[in-house]
Amino acid sequence: MTEAGKRLLDPAVLARLAGLRLRVRATAEGVLSGLHRSPHHGQSVEFSEHKEYAPGDELRHVDWKAYGKFDKYYVKRFEQETNLRAWLVVDASGSMGYRGSDDRLTKLGYACTLAGTLAHLLVRQQDAAGLAVFSGKVTNALTPRAEPSQVNAILETLEALQAGGETRVEAAVQFLAERARRRSLVMVFSDLLDRDERVLRLVADLRRRRHEVTVFHLLDPAEIDFPFDDPTLFLSMEDTRSVEARGRDVRKGYLELLGSWLDEVRRVCGESDVEYVRVRTDQALDEVLVPFLARRERSAA
Amino acid sequence: MSLSFLHPALLWGLAAAALPLAIHLFYRRRPRSVPFPALDFVMQARRETERRLKLRRVLLYAARTALLAAAALAIARPRLSTPEARAAAGPAGPAATAIVLDTSASMAYRLGGRTLLDRAREDVAEVLASLGPDEPATLVVCGSEAAPVADPPGFDRLALRRVLADAAQGLAHSDLTTCVTAAVRALGDPAAAATPRRRLVVATDLTASAWRLDAPAPVVPMPGGAQRPDVSLLDAARGEPLGNRWVSGLVADPEPAAGSHGYRIGVTVNGEGMTAERDVPLTLRVGAGKEERTALRSLLELPASGSTRKALAHDFGAGGPAVVSVALPPDALPEDDALTVVVDVPRDVKVLVVNGAPSAILHRDAAYFLEAALAGPASPVRPTVVDAEGFGKARLADFDVVMLLDVRAPGPKAAELSAFVENGGGLFVAMGDDVDPDRWESEVKGLLPAPLHVVKTAAERGTPGAEGKAARFAEIDWDHPALRVFTGQAREGLESVRTWRYMLLKPGAKDGGARVLARYDDGATALVEARRGRGRVMLFASTLDPEWSDWTIRTSFLPAMQRIAAWLAGSLDERRSAPGLVGAPRPLTLPAGLALAAVVGPDGRERREVAVRGEAGKGAVPVVTPDRPGLWQVKVRDLATGGERIDPALAFAAWPDPRESDTRRLEPSELTAWFGGEALARVASDGKPGGSHQVPLWSWLLLLAVAAFLVEGLLLG
Repeated sequence: MTEAGKRLLDPAVLARLAGLRLRVRATAEGVLSGLHRSPHHGQSVEFSEHKEYAPGDELRHVDWKAYGKFDKYYVKRFEQETNLRAWLVVDASGSMGYRGSDDRLTKLGYACTLAGTLAHLLVRQQDAAGLAVFSGKVTNALTPRAEPSQVNAILETLEALQAGGETRVEAAVQFLAERARRRSLVMVFSDLLDRDERVLRLVADLRRRRHEVTVFHLLDPAEIDFPFDDPTLFLSMEDTRSVEARGRDVRKGYLELLGSWLDEVRRVCGESDVEYVRVRTDQALDEVLVPFLARRERSAA
Repeated sequence: MSLSFLHPALLWGLAAAALPLAIHLFYRRRPRSVPFPALDFVMQARRETERRLKLRRVLLYAARTALLAAAALAIARPRLSTPEARAAAGPAGPAATAIVLDTSASMAYRLGGRTLLDRAREDVAEVLASLGPDEPATLVVCGSEAAPVADPPGFDRLALRRVLADAAQGLAHSDLTTCVTAAVRALGDPAAAATPRRRLVVATDLTASAWRLDAPAPVVPMPGGAQRPDVSLLDAARGEPLGNRWVSGLVADPEPAAGSHGYRIGVTVNGEGMTAERDVPLTLRVGAGKEERTALRSLLELPASGSTRKALAHDFGAGGPAVVSVALPPDALPEDDALTVVVDVPRDVKVLVVNGAPSAILHRDAAYFLEAALAGPASPVRPTVVDAEGFGKARLADFDVVMLLDVRAPGPKAAELSAFVENGGGLFVAMGDDVDPDRWESEVKGLLPAPLHVVKTAAERGTPGAEGKAARFAEIDWDHPALRVFTGQAREGLESVRTWRYMLLKPGAKDGGARVLARYDDGATALVEARRGRGRVMLFASTLDPEWSDWTIRTSFLPAMQRIAAWLAGSLDERRSAPGLVGAPRPLTLPAGLALAAVVGPDGRERREVAVRGEAGKGAVPVVTPDRPGLWQVKVRDLATGGERIDPALAFAAWPDPRESDTRRLEPSELTAWFGGEALARVASDGKPGGSHQVPLWSWLLLLAVAAFLVEGLLLG
């Protein structure tokens, strides 16, 4: 990746880009550039059948495990994946509108950039990408399609999003339960700050419905570091609650609570076979996407 | 107990204790409103830490407030005291302090190897060290009967410490009432007017004899009226009883049974608070200096308290001044375990008795009764009786006194007789039928006190009513040294003498210096004396035999004759006054031709600087104030030769004051009541003026401030 490309993936730079489309394009290009350098550049295909090797077949498709069993050369036959469906589930609740600093993207902005980039990449390789936006309920939904116009529709929807309302992951889960009957790739972009304690179990339910689930857990650095010292009136971003506290007095307790919650989230995701990606919004986007896509390619291979 | 402050004005500093709260309120900022997504965690964290934070905040405020309040209180110098003491102390603040140090003889008492004065001196040094810089003080050293010197309170601590260091152990009596009164009066000096409180500190042994509690208690004269001071009595004995045993009396009286120069030495020993003891050694020593020797050792049986007497006999062997001392084994107060007296052992008086009318009938012999009277076993007089013929052969210079009885006239011995008297000899002349007044007048004119005139017969002896008509002595000079022994009923022995005949005397010259010792009841002179040159002449107007008078058979005859003989010989002049007390001034009367060179004390040290009473050259008399008990000797300088010598006749003894030996202690309540009650005065048996009376708290408060500072640091950390 060129230096210019790296800079484009910097959230501080992206935050200065006016529109989502620009951010998505910049991110997608940067990510693709990064993927070309990866030794795991696979294809979005699925294994179909074996056939006996014949001269002219690519040696790299020889199934060496089958040769070990049958003492014959078999070549894997692949079939273009035409029915991969991906749901991009974006949390647009009030808490997602937070950013600890003006030179950063809000969590929602960061999530939209991630989702838009992935939509772009999916459609580019002819996968179907769909969108579900939720807060207290599912407010926007686009059924997955592999058409190029789908990217525009998704980006338009994401671009128009405004953070607001409470977080209710259950609404998104119920929506997907009804609409995503086929096995799908579900990517959730959320801060998971749902007052419903079942939030992690609900996400795990998606996995039980045979979906491949990835949770992009978005956190602003201010949420992780809690850089408050003075007396501060903390206001809820989803309701009317507030609390006054001296930052330095509650920091230790806050960080302990946050740390144990994050551990709990990671543990439950791990136990539920849900891929968990923690994302700091000051993190370069390629640092999030490239390892994710690389893992996807490895699992596909 | 209540709280008082040395500097109450500084309590304004307590307002600083409100600073932490004021700063908290003043700088309290409005909280900044911040939308925050993870509000639940913030709320939960606040909920969990709220109680701990609240407690920490309260502790922090408390520590800061305590730090400032404790520092402010410490600067105000708080003290805990009883309500009574606080009321008595009057307004709080620094105190002008008068310190009285008792250096009297009883302070030489030894307890635990140290004298009470050593302890008292330490106590006073501590008091001086504890004085604040704004507390003036004065120190009165009380160790003698002299009027105490009480300077106004001042701030020169160095001078006070110098006075304290110079305060030596006295061996005289001190009147603490006088000293304390002077010290308290000094507290009213205008120099201490700016100081709000008055305090008296007395370092003493609390012996009762030092106080006169019948006198009014001292008060400080203040412009607004008399004020009683706050009194601290520092007990140098630390509450312990002071048992003591001392020799309280020593008298030496002639005792013929003990020898020609024998004396009976009476010793009185007193004790208080001691255990009864048997076979306590008592030592009698005689002599002085290198000639001092132990003459006798005896044993005493001593009761626990009270007195006991012991009589010892000793023969000095020769006349003249003799030094006698008795001593007990030393106890805790050894200064009063010995007494010394100087005894004038009478010298032998040689008397030449000239019998002008010897008789074979003894009771008619003119010298018979006189010889008998003078030659008694206890008499120092050695008479030699001669008749008129023997008188002519006698060498008068071999005698001290010549007594002429019924001698017609001196005759050829007149000139020798006059010279004898002029050179210091004594002459006694008694009348009789043979006396020739005209010849006496012509031969020794002016020698007799008065010229002889004619014989008068008051009554014819043996005639009816003669007893009643006989003349009797009247107007007797009882103060004369020769007649001083007649006191009380003994005077009757002189007043009852009847005289039938006596010689009338012509009036003597006005400047003849005659002193009439007795007159008859008709006014005629009976006994008269005059000084002639260095000698004395005494004339008796009647006879010393029963012819003219019955004095010879009266009880007064023997002592009168012995004392007259001694008087005329000059030995009665050597009678010295009784021993004086330590600290009591004693004038010295020096014989003519001698000057005082030095006084030698019992310690053997010569003191050449001696005070003088009166103006120089106009009867100035040196005055010695003995500062320790024992024998004091006088070294004189012969004005003619310039030589110096110890004159034994001038030696005298100084006794310790018996009031200082009586170490019975006052009950503390007696003394505190005298000073105005426990509200004003207290007795510190630990020698500390503070004690439980007033507890200084400032050091504890500073400790609290430091602790609060550390706690604050821990809380902030």
